[in-house]
Amino acid sequence: MKYRRKLFSYKDAFAVNDTNELFLKAVKENCLYHYNHCKEYKKILDGMKFHPDDLKTIDDLSKLPFLPTLIFKKHKLYSVPAFRTIVKATSSGTAGMKSEIGFCVSDLYSGLKMVLNVSKLRGLFSPVPCNYIVFGYKPHKSNKTAVTKTALGATFFTPALSRTFALKYSNGKYNADLEGILNAVIKYSKSKMPVRFMGFPSYTYFLMKMMDERNIRVKLPANSKILLGGGWKQFYTEQVDKSVFYDLAKKVLNIDDWNIIEFFGAVEHPVLYCDCKNHHFHVPIYSRVLIRDVDTLDVLDNGEEGLVNLITPMVKACPILSVMTDDLGILHDGENCGCGINSPYLEIIGRIGMKDIKTCAAGAAEILKEVNL
Amino acid sequence: MIIAKGKIYDSKQQDEILGNVENEITETLSSKSIDTETVISAVEKLCCKLKNGDFDDIINSLPIDGIDEYKKLAIRMLSRENIMLKLKTELGEDYLKTLETSPPEDLPKIKITAKPLGVLLHIAAGNMDGLPAFSLAEGLLTGNINILKLPSADNGLSVRIIAELIKSEPSLADFIYVFDTPSTDISAIKKMAEISDGIVVWGGEAAVSAVRQLAPVNSKLIEWGHRLSFAYISGFADKEKELSQLAEHIITTKGLLCSSCQVIYIDTDDYDDVTAFCRDFFPVLEKAADTHKPSSIDSRAEITLRKYTDKLESFLSGTEKAPFRSDLCSLVPCRDSELELSDMFGSVLVKPLPNKNIISVLGRKKGYLQTAGLICSPDKRDQLSDILMKSGIVRITKAGNMSSAFPGEAHDGEYPLRRYMRIVNQEI
Repeated sequence: MKYRRKLFSYKDAFAVNDTNELFLKAVKENCLYHYNHCKEYKKILDGMKFHPDDLKTIDDLSKLPFLPTLIFKKHKLYSVPAFRTIVKATSSGTAGMKSEIGFCVSDLYSGLKMVLNVSKLRGLFSPVPCNYIVFGYKPHKSNKTAVTKTALGATFFTPALSRTFALKYSNGKYNADLEGILNAVIKYSKSKMPVRFMGFPSYTYFLMKMMDERNIRVKLPANSKILLGGGWKQFYTEQVDKSVFYDLAKKVLNIDDWNIIEFFGAVEHPVLYCDCKNHHFHVPIYSRVLIRDVDTLDVLDNGEEGLVNLITPMVKACPILSVMTDDLGILHDGENCGCGINSPYLEIIGRIGMKDIKTCAAGAAEILKEVNL
Repeated sequence: MIIAKGKIYDSKQQDEILGNVENEITETLSSKSIDTETVISAVEKLCCKLKNGDFDDIINSLPIDGIDEYKKLAIRMLSRENIMLKLKTELGEDYLKTLETSPPEDLPKIKITAKPLGVLLHIAAGNMDGLPAFSLAEGLLTGNINILKLPSADNGLSVRIIAELIKSEPSLADFIYVFDTPSTDISAIKKMAEISDGIVVWGGEAAVSAVRQLAPVNSKLIEWGHRLSFAYISGFADKEKELSQLAEHIITTKGLLCSSCQVIYIDTDDYDDVTAFCRDFFPVLEKAADTHKPSSIDSRAEITLRKYTDKLESFLSGTEKAPFRSDLCSLVPCRDSELELSDMFGSVLVKPLPNKNIISVLGRKKGYLQTAGLICSPDKRDQLSDILMKSGIVRITKAGNMSSAFPGEAHDGEYPLRRYMRIVNQEI
């Protein structure tokens, strides 16, 4: 997969226009691989009367058949033998219906290069050690969800002095330990080293509310950051208004809005999206986004609302190169943002199929209900 | 957005406002009361505005199909006559008056007065637009001070209605608090619950059980949980008409309401009768689905995506799609008789249920049962209604009217206004 290697080694993570040709070559290479190694994928492409060789220009990406996420929930699609998928991730989504996606060594290597490159945007890598507070599940062998992995993964951005987890596994389930977290925050505020918060926005919000109510104010060391992650779903099920969140962070933790960084990825499209200083999600070079008309599935212009189709040649183990999410979104011209990045940015408006809306955030809210105030 | 004492505030001021609410309420409770007539006249004025199109801008922007029908229904429900009927049916002719007992012999006499519970916290569900305002109106009619926690999916309609209500009757202002607190803000909701004498909760099991956990032990819980409804078919009075009305019901409510048909039961123990019904009914359902094609963007997206996924599935399995399934609707024939949620959005389950098994099968779902849409030959109607009543059902309608509103009807088997009041006895 030489074009993938080239794409994922490209220096500027947001030079989308300059990498179109490379991206197309990488997609074609990836498409051909899956076509020849995944019999289900071949059946779909043949059924849709499409052959990888039909990818001739960047505009042909719109002709590449996309796979709705529901397909991955019903079928396990693999293009490499099982022993080569060293990591399996499941979406944290809907009750009983999880997508399972595998990754092989070269996929993870590409992913690592991508993470390093995208994270440069917000100065996430630093040799200065940090105290980490992880608002997520403490890893346990029974929990395969991707959120656990990304939350833990992000604590490797800088050397970790300590890691404190909000959700601990005991007696067969996860329990929230916010008192423990609060004590850790107070302790770390006296340290010289910055603190990094990582995980579900609702937990972070809840902690800050708790501090506010008890009139606890701390001034965390300079360069302390709040890193927010979750899934795509976080966008619309998150009920906390962003400006309220930013204000509260300033008030109780003394963290400024530009030190609050949000990122996301989805199991079916594991490209790391990180918000810019204006809190917009620009499309990185490893990904292309097509917004499709809800009736005709034709590709729409920037600024129009439709279904979100995500394309990446990152993964060899599973044919997830073009997936259709259940999200409705708009792609905006990058210039409208004003942060200096010209690649377009994606805004998620909502999601179809409300019956499917139980998310990991909802699960988190349920655990929170058991916390005694 | 927050409404407190008739003024609108930003959500950011929530904690500050909530801090004062208890004192304000104590003040209101000790110095003021509202009478039913004030509320009725405010609602009447609101109804006129609705009729005159004052709310059309916001109503037309809602992603609801068949909005005109909803509007007409709301106008009918809010009319003075209908509210009077509701009061009389639920509370009785003299319920709001102070009565005196006349016990036999020399037994002691008492005065009986119905009083509001005091403060009601309404935790409203998001599956029906305008419902939060409706719940609040019931609280006002019974003289209560109302704290309303809006559902996260509320689209501004409720706040607009409530603001108008206060505008037309400013004396209501002290009796209305509206907060758009997110459900994750447990501490704020807990505070609201502590101030309240009764908590009215609408919604699914998760919402109900969450409220049970945070409610103080001494507050009264009034739960309007999710319910299941079905159609029961045992012959026909006018087959063509009844089937098309049932199809209209299934398509227009999309299976989303407590009263929406989830399962069509056929009075038989023969599975062949079930598939035979599907063959008869499917074209009728398709026709209804075609006439009511959804216009909201997410429903359209869902249909397009479902159609596309079906196509890919057919490539994977190499087989044709299931029978009784189109892009817009589907019938799922089943062999079991369990009452359960359908896939909704035009999809409905069809199951055998011989009438001798009705009570045993539905008994397992006691507490969840709501409406039975009964289709049968006229001579069987009384007998089948009787069996259905014994099974725990609280509404029996004709199949097309399962979700229609009937003036004077109870809510899930109870009269809500009674639950929002308490009886005070005074020794004379």
